[in-house]
Amino acid sequence: MIIQFLSDTWLLWVLLSIGGLLWWSGRDSQYFNYIFHRYQLALATLLIVSAVVFSLMDVLPGDCAEKYIAYKSTQGEMITQADIQAERVRMGLDKSLPERWGRWVTNLTLRGDLGFSCAKRQSVNLALGDRFWMSFMFCIAGLVFAYLIAVPFGILSAFTINKSWTDKNPQNSKGQQLVNSAFLSLQKLLDLTLRIISYLGLALPNFLLALTIILLYVFAGEAMPTGLFSDQWSNVPWFGSHGFETGKLYDFLGHIWLPIFVIGWSATALQLQTVRALVVDESNKLYVDAARARGVDGMALWAGYPVRHSISPLFNSIGFDFMRVFNDLPIVAVVIGLTDSAALLIEALAMTNDQELAAAILFLVALVVISMNFITDAVLAVIDPRVRKSVLGN
Amino acid sequence: MNALLTRFGRKAKPKNDDSYYTAGQMALIKARFKRKASGVIAAWVLGTIVFMGLFAPFFSPVDPTIRGADIEYRRGAPQVVKFWDENGFSLTPFTYTYTKTRSRIDLKALAGGGLSALDALTSSGALTASSQNKYDVDRVQRRYIQFFSKGWEYSLIDLSIGNLDMDIRWDRHLLGVGQGQLHLMGTDEDGKDVLSRTLHAVWITISIAIVALVVKLIVSLFVGGVSGYFGGRVDTIMMSITEAVRVIPPIPIYLACAVALSQLDLTSVQRYFAIALVIGALDFATLGRRLRTHILTERNQDYVLAAQLCGASTWRIIWRHLIPSFSSYIIVDTLINFPYVILAETSLSFLGLGLTEPVNSLGVLLQKAQDPDIQQNMLWQFSPVAVFVVLIMAFVFVGDALRDAADPYSEKK
Amino acid sequence: MMSQNFSNNLLEIRDLSIDFNTDEGLVRAVDNLNLSIRPGEVMGLVGESGSGKSITAKSIMRLAPGNAIIQHPSQITLNHRDQAVNVLKLRGRDLRLVRGDAVSMIFQEPMASFAPAIRISDQIIQTMQIHLGYDKDQARRAGIELFDRVGIVDPARRFDQYVFELSGGMRQRAMIAMALSTQPKLLIADEPTTALDVTIQAQVLDLMMELREQLGMAMLFITHDLGVVSKIADNVTVMKQGKIVEAGTADQVLFQPQHSYTKRLLDALPHLENLPEAPTHKPKPLLSVKDLSISYPQAGKGRKTEHFTAVNNISLDLPEGQIIGLVGESGSGKTSLGKAMLGAAPISSGHVEYHNTKKKVKFGAGKAIKRKRLARTAQLVFQDPYSSLNPRMTVRDIIAEPLEAMKLTKSREETDARVIEVAKRCHIEVAHLRRFPHAFSGGQRQRISIARALVCNPKFIVADESVAALDVSIQAEILKLLKELKDELGLTILFISHDLSVIANLCDWVCVMKHGELVEQGTVRQIFLAPQETYTQTLIASIPLLESAENRSCGSPELLHIAERPVSSMQSEWV
Repeated sequence: MIIQFLSDTWLLWVLLSIGGLLWWSGRDSQYFNYIFHRYQLALATLLIVSAVVFSLMDVLPGDCAEKYIAYKSTQGEMITQADIQAERVRMGLDKSLPERWGRWVTNLTLRGDLGFSCAKRQSVNLALGDRFWMSFMFCIAGLVFAYLIAVPFGILSAFTINKSWTDKNPQNSKGQQLVNSAFLSLQKLLDLTLRIISYLGLALPNFLLALTIILLYVFAGEAMPTGLFSDQWSNVPWFGSHGFETGKLYDFLGHIWLPIFVIGWSATALQLQTVRALVVDESNKLYVDAARARGVDGMALWAGYPVRHSISPLFNSIGFDFMRVFNDLPIVAVVIGLTDSAALLIEALAMTNDQELAAAILFLVALVVISMNFITDAVLAVIDPRVRKSVLGN
Repeated sequence: MNALLTRFGRKAKPKNDDSYYTAGQMALIKARFKRKASGVIAAWVLGTIVFMGLFAPFFSPVDPTIRGADIEYRRGAPQVVKFWDENGFSLTPFTYTYTKTRSRIDLKALAGGGLSALDALTSSGALTASSQNKYDVDRVQRRYIQFFSKGWEYSLIDLSIGNLDMDIRWDRHLLGVGQGQLHLMGTDEDGKDVLSRTLHAVWITISIAIVALVVKLIVSLFVGGVSGYFGGRVDTIMMSITEAVRVIPPIPIYLACAVALSQLDLTSVQRYFAIALVIGALDFATLGRRLRTHILTERNQDYVLAAQLCGASTWRIIWRHLIPSFSSYIIVDTLINFPYVILAETSLSFLGLGLTEPVNSLGVLLQKAQDPDIQQNMLWQFSPVAVFVVLIMAFVFVGDALRDAADPYSEKK
Repeated sequence: MMSQNFSNNLLEIRDLSIDFNTDEGLVRAVDNLNLSIRPGEVMGLVGESGSGKSITAKSIMRLAPGNAIIQHPSQITLNHRDQAVNVLKLRGRDLRLVRGDAVSMIFQEPMASFAPAIRISDQIIQTMQIHLGYDKDQARRAGIELFDRVGIVDPARRFDQYVFELSGGMRQRAMIAMALSTQPKLLIADEPTTALDVTIQAQVLDLMMELREQLGMAMLFITHDLGVVSKIADNVTVMKQGKIVEAGTADQVLFQPQHSYTKRLLDALPHLENLPEAPTHKPKPLLSVKDLSISYPQAGKGRKTEHFTAVNNISLDLPEGQIIGLVGESGSGKTSLGKAMLGAAPISSGHVEYHNTKKKVKFGAGKAIKRKRLARTAQLVFQDPYSSLNPRMTVRDIIAEPLEAMKLTKSREETDARVIEVAKRCHIEVAHLRRFPHAFSGGQRQRISIARALVCNPKFIVADESVAALDVSIQAEILKLLKELKDELGLTILFISHDLSVIANLCDWVCVMKHGELVEQGTVRQIFLAPQETYTQTLIASIPLLESAENRSCGSPELLHIAERPVSSMQSEWV
């Protein structure tokens, strides 16, 4: 009995015990007090998000009863308006919006139940399966791709700020000036290229990029690597009779680069600009000059001072970067034929009008963003003394 | 380039001239903007595109609606403009007359009912998509291009509001041909001119963005203003709501609204404004937060305190000090956001949920690029993509240059 | 020290010319500068903003910004280990010679010159590893020893902190320790005490002198304050607009100045010997402050809001028609008190009352302010001449603001006439009225600010640090204007300042504040020549007055108890 009750309400207990633990630790630690505060804030934001998402999805046409009855009618039953009404009452759809939202949130917080998808006629949790994880991995892979390119090149691009194209220092000899000028021009050219690419990232949005790549394949007369596997491998298990199927892995890698590249594209462009601006901002500060005046130079200067100080704000924005990447995912999924939760989202929104499924996916995205923000805040308060000072006092 | 820069620099800040000192903030921003060559060039490009979009009927050689569709030249490739060919040189540029290749279909054999005849027809390619693009070029029958040629009538400036009737109608077009129609970028499967459609689409897309940005501005001003001005509990509540809105990806939300809109029985114009309204109204989080911060900091500036101590009323402070203080910021921010709003509109239309055929918007035109038939057989229908990319790039460059110009710290000390 | 051989200079700058590459073409920042520093010598480089003194110092360290062009035939030579090194030709790793090995630099803002997210210890250890080849433990021990040496209490703990965890005075000490960590031969100090309170400034100066005597290093001491220079320098060079106008030994330059510019700078120093006599009777008060307390809400622990009391129960009468100086160090509550008189600070108890006004002006705790009445009686001149003028309004509109806001004039012509009258009185050219504030320098902006305050004919003006952001020679002009206004219009002026020399030159009556309380008040003569309270005495003793070479080493008598202690044992009441 009690076990049953506990297992029916497990998520609530988890949430409460985390909160309790933080509250307990926060009695004499300023840090945990701050974390506890952030935890409360995150939960409150989630509550508002659920309300926003739920009420927005309510504008989608049709409701569960209609869909269920429509399904039944395909099975050959005669349906009247009264049947629909009766079904509505049975499903609780005649209740007001706040009441339905209350029920949804309660089920969600008690046991992580995201509701029932009428279009798919199964619970949302089941319908999603690991498709949400797939989208999550796509976004993370896209972000990693973006960071891997944007951070080094953004820093490189920041080097050139305040430098001119040519060396006109009269203290240098003509030969030196020439060599320096060539070097400087090269740097500036690189910076210019990077900037144009980052502008292109905005002007050539993901779906157009995907289309362009498709077009290239059309020209080359080759099959598009859409989806995750080619037909040949899609039904072969990872571990077949010959052990691990390396062929499947190659096939997978041959397909996966496209979504990651396409998703990472805009993020890379945006990050290039952000990294550049952050590093430039830091490198103009007095402490960099002061470090230089102490004889710190080369990599030790750049990596140890301006770059090191611009990591925190970059790290801090991971949550919103994730949101931005996911924002582009549905449309990309349509263009290159993915089957993850973003594709489900488009399907739920545009085709089946599946309110519960769409609300659940959006809520999960928001949950990931808020969790990431929570974690980055918690981590930064430990590792960055500037953050520690501003949030905890001295 | 350097010479250009210095010339602009000189012009912007003349010595021994009172004009620099008596220049207001906007004039200073303008002067600083002019010093940035990339921004100036982009501004010209942008201005040209927008101007052509605004007077699209004049610049379009053909009526972009189904009325202007060239039934004789469906799926037609771009027509090449020439000055000379083997038949001689001409001062006025010309194109040729194109006539459809009619593949002979042996209807009799088909009527005879032989399956083999049907087979032969299918394999001959006469019915495949690519064969439908084939046209015969009549190189003798030239079509000379006329400037300010007479064509379909359109309203150049339409200011009819209520009883006021100010509709200036005209029937001249920049380019045209005497006979038939001119298709510089080819035609689509209905025979509609791609160039004319693109020009009309530019203005529709930009006007959606303008409406969306105005709505966004009003909502953001309300949120930021109320939050920043009242502070305290109101501020906390408002900010938690914006925080929640900020973490939800916007495009799915737009999608949901667009789907809901599609249920209502709207005309294409109403739909057009409804979409602009949705995009604008839901995008208040970032600007609203920034305005709030701006008001909070600006409210504590010395000159606001000075105005208070001068006995200025709250209204006077808001009107004469606070609003001017962020007007330039708002203008810059709006311009920077243009590409994003255009992207939102195109994304929606691209998914078939924003504007749809037969409306001309860049999103609608881009959506066609998804069609495998077009990808394989009608590459010229990709030209709106190029226009789109150039337009967005121009906006980004202008926005960037303007941001630098509006930022007083950008000036070298 | 004075008799050393001239050719044996540690640093020699010959014909240094620096141009800035700006939008308007090349602008000369330093013009043909010649300067040499012998080993162990302290050279004072004096000049106002834009005189080129900072860029000169940066050029020695090869830290000039990218748009600065060092022209031919400039030469900077450093004699190091019996070798003459041409500094301007150094490249790559060799630059470390001037960046730490032989030369170190102290910047004006210690807070900004330490990386905020790196422990001070790590920054110092890194420096020592680069220049002295110490290993980590060695560097650590040496660093803590240095911290002890510059008078930081609990050096081992402080060593591992971040810069924002230290107080202002301590930060500058840490900065000095950092500069000394490479054992340089020459220390360049760029306005090292300007951002500090007077008492802390005196301590830091004493520390620097003591260290210099112990270590025998040379110093290039850059400042705008001749008083500070007289305490520390052997030789003085005065710069103006990139050129040297006067150079010589400290005694020559400070006591027999040749150039008019030097004389003007010297005039700005307080002259305690000819302070004005006290008026025979104290005039009637214009304004009375009774039991006034001011407190600001502050985020406390958890949900609680705490209150920070800025001013604690002050009662004060301000005599009519005088300039009253309000002195105190940062955080003393002087600005809060001044603003409270204008109704711009949250009064938690007590009240403010103006006398002899047409309509009664009295406000305070539980008594609302009649804003317009008050605005016509009392006005404020701000500290920052940049943020206090709305950049989007013309000068005419700014000055006319009170008239238009309160609708005091009937027509636009009347407003214009009044604006022009006031502008002339404040020496603003009428033709400039249609300009925007960005056209003006700090001093001119402050005149506009004063004109705005005067336009509705108030009886009382609060000038809150109104000359603190200005150069000394500009300060003098504004002070002269304020005196004129007092004499001609019978204004009462409350002049708030941390700068005692300005107070001494301007005020008739002085109030001293500390930690929100009124410590002492009296005529300027009483306060400066016979201070009663210990705090006032310390404050007065900290004023960097002109001192000749003989008195220099022993410092002023009041500070003897500090100076005589060994530096390492200095205790913590100020750090």
